[in-house]
Formats: sequence, C-alpha cells, structure tokens
Amino acid sequence: MVVLRAGLCPGLTEEMIQLLRANGIRTVVDFVSSDLEDIAQKCSLSYKALVAVRRVLLAQFSAFPTNGADLYEELKSSTAILPTGSPSLDQLLDSGLYTGEVTELMGAPGSGKTQVCLGIAASVSLGLKQHVLFLDSTGGFTASRLYQILRARAEDGEEQLEALQRIQVVRVFNIYEMLSALQELRDRLSQQVVSSMGPLKIVVIDSVSAVIYPLLGGKHSEGLAIMMQLARELKTLAKEFSIAVVVTNQATRESSTGPLKPALGRSWSFVPSTRVLLESKEATWEKATTQRVASLAKSSRQPTGIQVELDIGNGDVQELSPATPAQGL
Amino acid sequence: MADAFRRAESGTQLLARLEGRSSLKNLEPYLFAEEASPVHGDVIEFHGPEGTGKTEMLYHLIARCIIPKSSGGLEVEVMFIDTDYHFDMLRLVTILENRLAQRTEEMIKQCLGRLFLVNCNTSTQLLLTLYSLENMFCTHPSLCLLILDSISAFYWIDRSNGGESLNLQEMNLKKCANFLEKLVREHHLALFATTQTLMQKSTNSAESFFPLKLQHETDTDYRPYLCKSWQQMVTHRIFFSKQCNSGNSKGFTVISCHLKRNHVVKCSFSVAECGVQF
Repeated sequence: MVVLRAGLCPGLTEEMIQLLRANGIRTVVDFVSSDLEDIAQKCSLSYKALVAVRRVLLAQFSAFPTNGADLYEELKSSTAILPTGSPSLDQLLDSGLYTGEVTELMGAPGSGKTQVCLGIAASVSLGLKQHVLFLDSTGGFTASRLYQILRARAEDGEEQLEALQRIQVVRVFNIYEMLSALQELRDRLSQQVVSSMGPLKIVVIDSVSAVIYPLLGGKHSEGLAIMMQLARELKTLAKEFSIAVVVTNQATRESSTGPLKPALGRSWSFVPSTRVLLESKEATWEKATTQRVASLAKSSRQPTGIQVELDIGNGDVQELSPATPAQGL
Repeated sequence: MADAFRRAESGTQLLARLEGRSSLKNLEPYLFAEEASPVHGDVIEFHGPEGTGKTEMLYHLIARCIIPKSSGGLEVEVMFIDTDYHFDMLRLVTILENRLAQRTEEMIKQCLGRLFLVNCNTSTQLLLTLYSLENMFCTHPSLCLLILDSISAFYWIDRSNGGESLNLQEMNLKKCANFLEKLVREHHLALFATTQTLMQKSTNSAESFFPLKLQHETDTDYRPYLCKSWQQMVTHRIFFSKQCNSGNSKGFTVISCHLKRNHVVKCSFSVAECGVQF
C-alpha cells in the first residue's frame, strides 16, 4: 500500500497530492484505479498531467512482462545443475539439483537428511569449487563429519581446507534469524561484492520445519503468513540469483497406517518444485545400518515413485561399507 | 484536446474488437462439458491439491496455443501471470520439442515468442500489473488467453495483513477479481486461473457447494475460501485429483463443472514426457 507523496514520480507535486487527498485518493492503487477524467474535473487538474503520472506510477510499481523466447535464452545460460555427490541421487533428481528451484528432502528423524545435506555441501564445494551457505537450525551440523566426508573424496590436504573454507555455516534458531540471514545473503548478492564470499550457487537449510513448527497453531493465520513469506523469499532468491535451494522437512502421517507426507501442512506442500523422501531400508533393526531408500515424491520432470538406494555411511555417500554407524546421526 | 486523446484510446480498442480474437473453441475438448468451449469471456478455475497436474495442464494448454497451425496448434498468444515462481520454462520446452514436427531452435523460439510471462510478488503488485497489462491487450489482438497461476498465492499473507477485518483482508483480491472481469469482458479473453486446496473440506453439509444430487458423485475436496467476487465470476470449475490406486496407470482425474448449467464431465489423463495425454 504505497501512499502518494510528493516526489514519488516526476510530475507529482505537493499541491497535486493535497487536491487528490481532498477527494479521497491517498494511495497509488486508488489513483490508478480511479477514472482520470472524473478527477481532472473534480480537482481541476490537467487531464494530460494525470495521465502522464499514471503511466509513470504503473511503470514503477507493476511488474514488466517478458517474452518467452528471451526468458528461455536467459535460462539456458544461467541454469546450472549441481551434483549431489551421490550418483544414484543425481539420477533420481534428473542429473542433479537445478538452480532456480527449491528442492525438499523429507524424512523421519534419523533418516539421513542431514547426512545428505552435508554430502551435497561437500560435493558442491569440492567438485565445483563454488561457495555454499548452510543454514543450520537444528544444531545437527558437525564440522568433523563434514571433514570426514571431504577426506574420503579428496586426497590433498590443501584442497580439503579450501573446500571447508568455501562452506559458510550460519546457526539460526528462530524464523526471524533465518529471514535476516536470507536478507543478508540477498544484500550481498545484489551488491556483487567480490569478498571472501565467491560465487554462491547453493543454499542448504537444515531444517525448515524446526523454525516454523513453533509458529503454527495458536494465532493460526499469522504463523502461516510468516511461513508463506519465508517460502516466497526462498523462491525469489532461487529464481533471481540462479541459486539451488535445498530444504529439509519432517514427515508425518495422517493416521498410523497412512502414507508419509511432508510436515508443515497443505500450504507448504505447494512450495518446493521437487521433493525426495528418505527412508531407512526395511530390513534389519538389530544392527544400525547406513542404507537408505530415496524416493521421488514430487517432480516436474520425472515420474514420481521411482526409488534409489543410498548409503550415507563413511565418507562417500555411495560406498558400500560394512555397517559402521555414521557419527552425528 | 482531452477529447481527441480519449477518442484515440477507444479507437484502438474498437480496432482490436473488430479484428476479432481467434476462436479458442478447440483448445481442449476433454476438459469441457459442452461442445464449443471455452468461449471468450469464460473464466475457468483449476482447483486441486498439490501434485495433481494443474500446472502440467496449463503447460498443455500453452503448448496448444503457441504451436503454429501447421503443427496442429492454434497459433495464438498467451499471457501467463506467475504469482509463486512456479513456472518451469525448461519443462515447457521439453513439451514443445515433443509436439513439434520440426524440433529446431528456430521453431521453438518462434513458438515461445507468442508467450508472455510476468511475475508478481504481492497482491498489490498483481493489481497494478493488471492495470498496466491492459495496454498490452489493446495492442496485441492475437493475445486471447490469460493464465493466472495461482490466484490464491497471497491468501495467507493478505489475511494476516488485513488484521481482523474480513473486508480489508479480501480487498486486494476483490479489486483484482473485478478488474479481471472487466479485462476479460472488454477484450474478449478467456481466463484460466489455478487455486490451491488450502482448506479441508467442511463436514457441514449445509455449507455444501453442489446440489445434493451431485454430491456423492463428486467427492471433491473443495471448500471455497476466496472472496465472493471471485467465486461469482467463475464460469467453469475444474477439479484435479490423483488416482491412488496401486494399478500401473498412475493417472490423474479431472472433474469439470459448468457452473451455470450444472453440467459435469469426468475424465482422466496421464502425464508423459510430451505433457498431458488423455
């Protein structure tokens, strides 16, 4: 609701504003939606001047349409597909994480979401030499585990150190801290400051349900509104700066025998473009296993329901090592 | 001088009207209960929970529109308003590649040249964008399809901003709906809008939307939550749902209702690489 004020656009003078206000026109929306001839008569202002102001205000506050062909050209050059570090997971995601999209990993506690996130961070930092922003809201991030993953993938100590330096971890424990960390990221990217923070292509958020759960229930719609604001912020970040956003979420069931579905309710379920469900393999419960099954729950490119097997064990998220429980699980 | 200006403006509109908008009658016969649908002035709402194929259906309609007549399309222009950054251009290009006779870059760019995209971040911006698009409809006579995905994207945010007053909460959407109705009527467009199933169906039968005869036929999860102005301007409501049977056909179902005449038609489709297939 932008209020009209002098200097908002050329041609909008103080006296004009006073005359408009006297006739009940206070905001940009009021001005644009009213009949200009009518106003010209009532306020005794020049019709031509009003039309000119309307044109400038619309150009300033409305969105501009782009042509499909231009957008396609732009996307071809700016979209990248980031490897997750696990070839079978890449296959599930149609070759990897696409920039410009929000991908969700959901699963019960202990299903391996944090491990997969660490694997992704390691892969992007080591393999692509790109910077990673890791927002940790559960305290599940352990640098030693990350180092272990990097050690398994790269021999050179120098390389491992550089890879570690390219991953920035921010601990956020409520929604406002998360929103402000994202705002900081946005400012940094808009200014294109070539500082210690190089090109950033991925943001990993583990987990998003931890900061949103406290908001839901109670004053119902306010919590949902903040959740949708977060969703909007993530999507605009992804689209505007060509970043891949990975979020983790809990999984719930409607009844004790129903299928697993993502937590945070219906409104959140529309937000990610791709959703992967992580589950432990059915088999044996006696010994802790590092085997997991990932299935595709939502995708705009592949049929849903396809499954792959993952091993989140020791270093490489693919290496089939005997059951050694991973640290920090 | 003001008079002459005004005359010129309505002259453009008149010209656009005289040239006529192309017919959309053969857009997608499976989706509509009547023979010759949609006609200009129709407002069609796609409603359904997530993952039920609404956006895929939109890609299908866009492809049908922008593909040239030589390949079986309608060769008209489409305006797509995206309110939640959902539009996946690469998916649309995959669909086009599968449907065109010649899959050259040139051909694809030519088709995409008939598509216009706008992104809106708030309901206020949506309203102002609609005002500024009015000009575009005047100058592009072959622009006859307007798609809005989705109109319910700002629901929670508007509700929270409006505080306690229901009027304030719905004000922006009401203005958008009124202006959309004016645009569709004056420029002879067809409007497709998607709404998301954000609310659970109410168990109170007094609130039921359909007359009793249809209620057990259509077990749709529909509970109206958008403002009355929007609900009253919709002429067709199409419900999307996913078939959860364990059979091999992972299909989707559409139930299409013509609201004024109470005609209901049901059919199913599947989604392949080339898009929606009935």
